[in-house]
Amino acid sequence: MIFFFENNEIHAIAGQTVGSALLENNVRVLRRTRFEGAPRGMFCGIGVCFDCVVTINGVANQRACLVEVEEGMRVEGFQR
Amino acid sequence: MITVVGAGPAGLAAALSAANAGESVELIESGARLGGQYWRNLPNSIVVDQQALNHDFQSGKVLREKVQAHPNITVLLNTQVWRASHEEGISILHTISGGTTREIRTNKLILATGAYDRTLPFPGWDIPGVMTPGGVQALLKGNNVKAGKKIVIAGTGPFLLPVATGLAKYGVDVVGLFEANRLRRWIWQLPALLNNISAIKEGASYLHTLRKFKVRVQRGYAVVEAHSGSDGNLSAVTVARVKSDFSVIEGSQRKVVCDVAAIGWGFTADLSLAGNLGLMQQVSLLDGGTYVVVDEHQGTSQAGIFAAGEITGIGGSKLSLAEGEIAGSAAAGSETNTSKKRKLAKFASALLRTYPVGPNWQSWLKPETTICRCEEVTLEIIEKSVLDLGATDSRTVKLFTRCGMGMCQGRICGRSVNDVVARISGKPASDADRVSSAARPIASPILLGELAQIPIVD
Repeated sequence: MIFFFENNEIHAIAGQTVGSALLENNVRVLRRTRFEGAPRGMFCGIGVCFDCVVTINGVANQRACLVEVEEGMRVEGFQR
Repeated sequence: MITVVGAGPAGLAAALSAANAGESVELIESGARLGGQYWRNLPNSIVVDQQALNHDFQSGKVLREKVQAHPNITVLLNTQVWRASHEEGISILHTISGGTTREIRTNKLILATGAYDRTLPFPGWDIPGVMTPGGVQALLKGNNVKAGKKIVIAGTGPFLLPVATGLAKYGVDVVGLFEANRLRRWIWQLPALLNNISAIKEGASYLHTLRKFKVRVQRGYAVVEAHSGSDGNLSAVTVARVKSDFSVIEGSQRKVVCDVAAIGWGFTADLSLAGNLGLMQQVSLLDGGTYVVVDEHQGTSQAGIFAAGEITGIGGSKLSLAEGEIAGSAAAGSETNTSKKRKLAKFASALLRTYPVGPNWQSWLKPETTICRCEEVTLEIIEKSVLDLGATDSRTVKLFTRCGMGMCQGRICGRSVNDVVARISGKPASDADRVSSAARPIASPILLGELAQIPIVD
């Protein structure tokens, strides 16, 4: 299936999490921090650390490591 | 009716033993499938060689199927308990599932909320590519995704071995396994080791596989700094020889090129709900972690609430299963057999004594090193709050600096902040400090719109 990260097409397998599908497509930087603008990506990978939070279909602060991909999903990391 | 929270090894075993004793059981799990972090159960669309990744895959499958097929057990998946309370012998669980909130009242509750990787801050640990071993394992076991092409595994503890082995079997270039503790520490635990031949065999089989894939296991080494390339991603780590207190042996530092470094220092219990329910907790002398205090039958300080698995002390899946079984029987009012648990607990203690975290990991820190990732609080800022503003405990430091106040609510930095503040202030962290750094009124995020749905009852 296909979803979008920052308007780029990303291919994924049903059941994969957004974060894992992005990593598989070599997208490692998921967002920038609000004070320093430092790049962040997946860290704990199991929903504990909230480092991988992205905006999914307009809903902010979703953990990319937990949410499973859906066809046509729109994911944004940097626009905040 | 018995309510179980968490469907990992402890929760599954608890649900099954309570159901077998004739009770009706409600099993609540935040994830989409049963099994927890240890037994990742996959959707049919993802094909992973589970046998290659988990020694114990078959027993997990059997247990899961028994739970699913049991007429007395109702399973609630994708259901988060975001808040819990306890009044007059009744536990109240506030759950949210797919945007719908619900309140569950129960007089018999078993908590099995598990644990996550313990991490230590070090220079560069916030660079994308630095991860936890559990996270790398979850990507592989749960998503069939290799976290990187050249992966360093580091930290301490037996869990590093299966993670490195799984990656190597999947064709990842594991450029090194750096275990901070030395093998000779096992000398003090020989009796426990000899009583657990199956564990020796498991360890030996991992080491055998790693040798086959030419992965070097180097003991007495730690990753003390991470470096980013021009694209902002991890490009290398600095590895150093460390003493038993984790201070660096000068001159031993060298750079190792990698795109992912999976670093873990044992595990931290998820005590959010235990704290909500007011369960008595204490700091373990074995590993310095905070855990729920339980009696022989997994009973907690609150009547009708039981706890099993990693939240009562880190011990691995087999001990979690034994504790879960006891908790389920005890909650159902049946007889329990604790001999298996006692044997496994001895071995778990031996492991914790063999893989301690030396206090001088703090010597790896630089003034500009991030301690709290969420709120971007550096060591320097924490130092100022103690030395200039007069904070003497973690709670005051938190109020001055916001460390531990971000989205993870101190799950990642809480314990390290306790240690850092204790060192700077010269005042050891009290048990109360440590328990309070794991206290979270809201156990998982909830939208205000979802909160607003909940009817107000006078």
